[in-house]
Amino acid sequence: MRSSIPGDDLQILLHEADTFSRRLVRRLRLPRADLDDIRQDLLVDLIARIPAYDPDRGSIGAFAGVVLRNQATRIAAKVNRQRQLHGAVPVSLDEPVPESDGLTRGDLVAEENGLAALLGQPVDAFAEIERRLDVERAMGGLGRADGRLCAELSRATADRLAASGHGARSSLYRRVKDLRLALTAMGLQAA
Amino acid sequence: MNAISPELSAGRLQISEIDLCGCIGHAAPGAVVEYHRGFLALDLVPQVTRLPERDRLELGRVARRAWWAADRGLVHLVQRRLGPSAFAYLAVVRPKPRHAAISLSSLLQVDAA
Repeated sequence: MRSSIPGDDLQILLHEADTFSRRLVRRLRLPRADLDDIRQDLLVDLIARIPAYDPDRGSIGAFAGVVLRNQATRIAAKVNRQRQLHGAVPVSLDEPVPESDGLTRGDLVAEENGLAALLGQPVDAFAEIERRLDVERAMGGLGRADGRLCAELSRATADRLAASGHGARSSLYRRVKDLRLALTAMGLQAA
Repeated sequence: MNAISPELSAGRLQISEIDLCGCIGHAAPGAVVEYHRGFLALDLVPQVTRLPERDRLELGRVARRAWWAADRGLVHLVQRRLGPSAFAYLAVVRPKPRHAAISLSSLLQVDAA
């Protein structure tokens, strides 16, 4: 069957469809294997709309761009709908949950399931309080100067303290080493 | 008075300073940690000890740490005689003090002021 689309125009259509399909796959982060299907969907729609092309209104490339852009938007919307249906779309934690008296999605996520727990940070409030009490008890066994150094080290590294005139770097590191031993002897474990 | 024989100082390094701190910090009250066996006063003397130099220095740190812990009320230091000029040096873990002498919050506020 002989095509009614001239060879040069067909090349333009194929090139535009290829460009749009690659862009769409990249933007939606679709698998590479979907590229051919996306390209085919775009081409089928574009070729079906060729009868509406008016050469007096613009080039075939411009016409193809408009058509492909619209079809690409429809394909993207369809993909996003499918992802929402199967839970593969980022959701805002501030989004309110319907019929839940103003609760947000973030309110429904337990601390144990949050990002902090995933990264290994402590999320047990009782354990944190006990740790705080242990730290205060241990620091009570230090001299006042060592206690102040601990407070300063909670804000800055030993290098920064040395740079800001709190003592020589080597002596600060010696004190830190001694503090580590002293706090271990008092029952504190390294975080 | 008998001459001090080098053979008397046959002690060896039992525990490192960090391990001693760990034992003191995490052992239950009443636990006994043997931090040296030998004759400590001689084992620390470089001209007499048979310990390698590195071990001798570490033993010095261990002994000072044991004394420090006793001074802070974390351990009782006792010795058990094993024979002539040979002792087991023991640290008996005491209950940890309950009340903090320094408040962490006050330290942080003072430092921020």
